Amino acid sequence: MTHQPPRVLLRVNRQRVRDRFADPARPPGLLVAFEGPDGSGKTTQRKLFKTWLKSEDYDVVTTKWNSSDLIKPLIKSRKAIHVLSAEEFSLLHAADFRHRVEQEILPALWEGKVVIADRFLFTGLARDAVRGLDLEWLLRLYQPLLWPDLVFYFSVTAETSAERVTAARLPSFYEAGQDVTSVDDPVTSFRRFIGRVISEYESLALIFNFITVDAEQSITAQHHRLRELFRERERQRSLKWNIGAFAEWLSLDGGSRP
Amino acid sequence: MTEEIGRFISIDGVNGAALAEAARDAFSGAGRGPGGISSWDASGVFSEMVCGGDEAGRPSARTLLLLYASDLMFRLRWEIEPALAEGKTVVAAPYVETAAAFGRAAGLSGGWLANLFRFARPAGERHIVDAVPPRSGAKPTGFAEFACDQLSGHVLGLTREQLMARTVRQLALAAARANRRS
Repeated sequence: MTHQPPRVLLRVNRQRVRDRFADPARPPGLLVAFEGPDGSGKTTQRKLFKTWLKSEDYDVVTTKWNSSDLIKPLIKSRKAIHVLSAEEFSLLHAADFRHRVEQEILPALWEGKVVIADRFLFTGLARDAVRGLDLEWLLRLYQPLLWPDLVFYFSVTAETSAERVTAARLPSFYEAGQDVTSVDDPVTSFRRFIGRVISEYESLALIFNFITVDAEQSITAQHHRLRELFRERERQRSLKWNIGAFAEWLSLDGGSRP
Repeated sequence: MTEEIGRFISIDGVNGAALAEAARDAFSGAGRGPGGISSWDASGVFSEMVCGGDEAGRPSARTLLLLYASDLMFRLRWEIEPALAEGKTVVAAPYVETAAAFGRAAGLSGGWLANLFRFARPAGERHIVDAVPPRSGAKPTGFAEFACDQLSGHVLGLTREQLMARTVRQLALAAARANRRS
């Protein structure tokens, strides 16, 4: 099999992506990210949102943070024995994200589906920045970047987050940020850690133009707000920012994907 | 990073068996020790990943390199830095160049690769083993062989042999650049 040099193949595939997304008969998919601290209620909202979208005849798939069949077991076994450094923690989650982007998210978007991401790369950025890692290094790990069309940020105070998370269970070692705080008590550690995570999220919300949802409101009120926001914003696509990500993905198998 | 008081040697190459032999030679000839040889997959991420089976989907070059970087961080933290801090000799085989050459062969940008391995301390001595890569079918013992096996037909449409040849070429270019600098 003859093959084209990488740059040529990427150029060809960039044009393929532009042509594909300009085709009115095949509308491109839509990527919606749900972000926020633990206990902000985003998973509840994600489920309600998915049900609503399906009732509106959208073809919807969901992807969750740290969920790939390939990488998740590696992370799980290392988290269990508390051996991960900040860099290893970050790199393994970036690997999990990359695998899901290539195996789940881009294929679904290419087929015109709506992809709902329960946490996106901003989760990695916020948590890893609190672990002392450089934001520029982190952001480049996730290249080629895939920008969501919508990012809903579920905003709660550190107190609310801690109250909700610790009401029924103890947070796990890394969830509580005990590797960062060195505090033995997971609840105390969580309170400290989540406050810093929220600060990072708030910075990211400004930089990346998140849509902030007041997650202290009732579940119903939040859900109706999401519907409104989705209707207002669903035609404002981020496609032009994502051409590189699609082109690289199409190049993985030499450009043979239909 | 701890202050380097030991001797740190990196050896890179695509042939795992030749790399292991060169590492042993370098270590025994180092005249200082005891220390050790740090090899890839010390953290077990790749062997565990292979055990996961094919249903999990084939990793891309980027995914493999993110895992390699994670494994390298593990090696630095548990094998390389502590030994150097105690004044020992450490041979890292492979180190950064093998992975970077594979990444460039797979079409990834030098900028992304340089950023990925930014945390890796430079070795005091750097060597590249230019042994001929083994043919397909041989049991892979090196990272480049493993990665080329994993990605055969799944990066730029390249076969395993084509990808290996490109990695060899990239490694030779890296050696030439290092020679020019020195």
